[in-house]
Amino acid sequence: MVQLTRRNFLIATGWVAGGVTVLYTLRNRAVAVAPTIIIPNKESGAAWVQIRSDGSCLMYFTRVEMGQNANTGLAQIVAEELNIELEDIEAVQPSTSDIAPIAVTAGSMSLTAFSRPTAMAAATLRESMRALAAVKLGEPLSMILDDAGGFQTADKRKVSYADLVDKDSVMVEFDDTKPSPALYTFDPQRSKKQVGRDATPIGIRGLVTGAAVYTADVPMQGVLYGRAIKPPVRSARIASLDTSGVAETSGFVELVRQGEFVGVVCKTPSALDAAMSKINVTWDLKIPINQDEIDRLIDVDAEMADGDLEHVLQDEAHRKDADWLIDLRFDVQTQSHAAQEPRAAIARFGDGSGAHKLEIWTGSQDPWGMKRFAAMDTGLSEDDVVVYAKRLGGGFGGREHYEVERDAVILARAVKRPVKVQWTRKDEFTASRCRPASAHRLRIATDDAGNLSDWWYGYITGHVVFSRERLPGWLLPVARLAGDMGVVKGALAPYSAPHQRVEYKDVDLPIDLGVWRSLNGAPAIFAIESAMDELAVQQGMDPVDFKIAQMKGKQPRLQVCLERVREMSGRRSLPHGSGYGRGFACGIFDDRSFVAVSADIHVDEIAQEIKVLHMCCVQDVGMAVNPDQLRAQAEGNMAWSVGMALLERFEVADDEIKSSNYDNYAIVRMSDMPSVDVEVVDQPSIPPAGAGEVALVAGPPAIANAIRNATGFRALRLPIAFADISS
Amino acid sequence: MKLKINGVERQVAADWQNENLLTVLREHFGLTGSRFSCGIGQCGACLVHVDGIPMTSCLIPVSEVVDKDVLTIEGLAAEDGTLHPLQQAWVDERVPQCGYCQSGQIMQALALLQNTPQPDDADIDRAMSGNLCRCGTYTRIRKSIKKAALVMKEAG
Repeated sequence: MVQLTRRNFLIATGWVAGGVTVLYTLRNRAVAVAPTIIIPNKESGAAWVQIRSDGSCLMYFTRVEMGQNANTGLAQIVAEELNIELEDIEAVQPSTSDIAPIAVTAGSMSLTAFSRPTAMAAATLRESMRALAAVKLGEPLSMILDDAGGFQTADKRKVSYADLVDKDSVMVEFDDTKPSPALYTFDPQRSKKQVGRDATPIGIRGLVTGAAVYTADVPMQGVLYGRAIKPPVRSARIASLDTSGVAETSGFVELVRQGEFVGVVCKTPSALDAAMSKINVTWDLKIPINQDEIDRLIDVDAEMADGDLEHVLQDEAHRKDADWLIDLRFDVQTQSHAAQEPRAAIARFGDGSGAHKLEIWTGSQDPWGMKRFAAMDTGLSEDDVVVYAKRLGGGFGGREHYEVERDAVILARAVKRPVKVQWTRKDEFTASRCRPASAHRLRIATDDAGNLSDWWYGYITGHVVFSRERLPGWLLPVARLAGDMGVVKGALAPYSAPHQRVEYKDVDLPIDLGVWRSLNGAPAIFAIESAMDELAVQQGMDPVDFKIAQMKGKQPRLQVCLERVREMSGRRSLPHGSGYGRGFACGIFDDRSFVAVSADIHVDEIAQEIKVLHMCCVQDVGMAVNPDQLRAQAEGNMAWSVGMALLERFEVADDEIKSSNYDNYAIVRMSDMPSVDVEVVDQPSIPPAGAGEVALVAGPPAIANAIRNATGFRALRLPIAFADISS
Repeated sequence: MKLKINGVERQVAADWQNENLLTVLREHFGLTGSRFSCGIGQCGACLVHVDGIPMTSCLIPVSEVVDKDVLTIEGLAAEDGTLHPLQQAWVDERVPQCGYCQSGQIMQALALLQNTPQPDDADIDRAMSGNLCRCGTYTRIRKSIKKAALVMKEAG
């Protein structure tokens, strides 16, 4: 029954116009409240790869593209399995009607979750083609050998994929009762042609010629321009609203009020700006918005003085009264995504003649989620809604929610014309679901030999995944009881101590919170790596030697990263003179991604600034499908590390979000950027793990430790300002 | 109201004459390679050349560029599709991640090389620090500018 549906589905959407397609059947359905969570496996998935009757290969991108270039890595896998070149693959970003639902693009999971199913799909296709080749050549299957773009026999009789595919549609169904075909990608003995090489990202030409199409670039006949007001927090209610003069604006089309939603549609962007500027609104807030309130809520010391924190991650022979050598509190600031593209969506309601009643163009990390939410929001059936996933101008965890899409849908419905909504930069900051501020208390004691004996780490952070803005109210208590997986990232140190306790509490803060690159990983590891560095320095030990010793041989991959980054950084000597320092840090993200970073810094007394001169990064995320793109992600993470350590500070005061644009929320510029060397540890026999956010966990503490090395100043609060050091 | 965009004379329709240059390029003429990001001239995503001078098009009323020459990213490659050396270097060094800022980065780099054909690191810092890239592709941008400078020098 399911298979029949899927076949019809495929044929209806034009997948199978002659050709051989791999078909996985789909049995799971995502629940309505959470982001789309279907990860393909043997049982669930979709038809993504097809060899067409001309022998060419069509591949649907299963990931939303936002700069991580995961699809290029997946295309390399397809090319490897099919013995073709990357250029032979036509890659298409599917709409939500083209293929079955696929999980939200988030958490650096793309290659981890998709590499094997993608390889299996392509390998199944290859072996099906081999069977056709055996018939065609009149040889037993075992005599059909691989060849570029097809097969050959030992006596060099060749047959190409094009020779094997006729106009009839053939569906190859994956059957998990049969043995899996050989996966070339995951064979560590095999010398590979596509996997493991520095492939140029698919579609790069469009990015340097301006031809690439982001949401706001989609050409749309008769489009109008709309926008809605954004409250400082989503729980705010309108206290007063004055829209006088809005309708008199030249170019005005419509004012829409629907509960707390107030939006305007105009004929041109400048008319829209003028009309929006005439709206005066005040908000009722449940909690005052200011930094003191945030600081009070995350006061880890007050809470630990009162007793245990709410959640305990680790508790082994804990001793409260150990002789603490390190007893430090670290504070990490709120940060915003500040992606370069202000989010945008276009909505168009059909006249009933087309296949869909509502079309949405958007750069969302979760296109299928957008489809589901739009259907719920409008009362349409899901089959009536289609979402065209566009490239994102940066995601970083901030593009999973049905928001700008909702703005466009409400306004387009009201005016019965297509409406394009692009948030202003101020909207982006005001409605930011920030990485929460957090406070970390770390206590460490050692035994007579100087090894760790006691470890006590407690922290308080705002919610990450289970923030009140991300889940419906009824689900929150249940979800939070289970623990917020975003909040615990990075909390367990790679070091061994016989007595240890790790505890935490996650709290609501007066601002909206959400997923931000590395989640709690970077804040927690900043605290851990700073504390370990301080302990080593105070004991007169080399911090790298000390950390490796305290891993007790239990973290071989992390140890290799740390050893190699020390060697790498040693190839360049620090300039002579005062104020120069070098620091190291390491960390693990999601148990499977390992990184170590060094930072060379200069605390410049004359220029009154802290300058990061050079960073080295060694990263081991298992198999390196596209080493160049692993390096690119690590380089980006080094920029984010400088920003987190020295620059970024999300400001709130007087019940308002004060950060509003790049002139008052500093992100890293060219002149702030250190030179960066990245080394990738390739592990051909270990499936690829996430690479998008791992290096960010080690960068900030490496910078802080370098400042300690240069000046003796231990940074306890991020971002670090020059004035902090001199005071 | 006329202006010349990438060598072609264009007429701005009455409805669009009160807009800024970025809006007219994108919404009226469909040249969407220049992009909106900050709206206050602080990030460079909308950067174009007006009579050879790099300018953030989000801040310029279109009425101020009447009869002027506007060069956008779409006008940079040769007519046969051959990429400008800067664009080619951007591809060779695989600069873009999300890519949203890269049109502006390339246009700013073009202005830099027109004034300073062989820039050093300090020149690049000075010229490029108004062009933000949230993905953090700066090290590759720097490398690409130097590479393009060499290619352009050799080509004379």
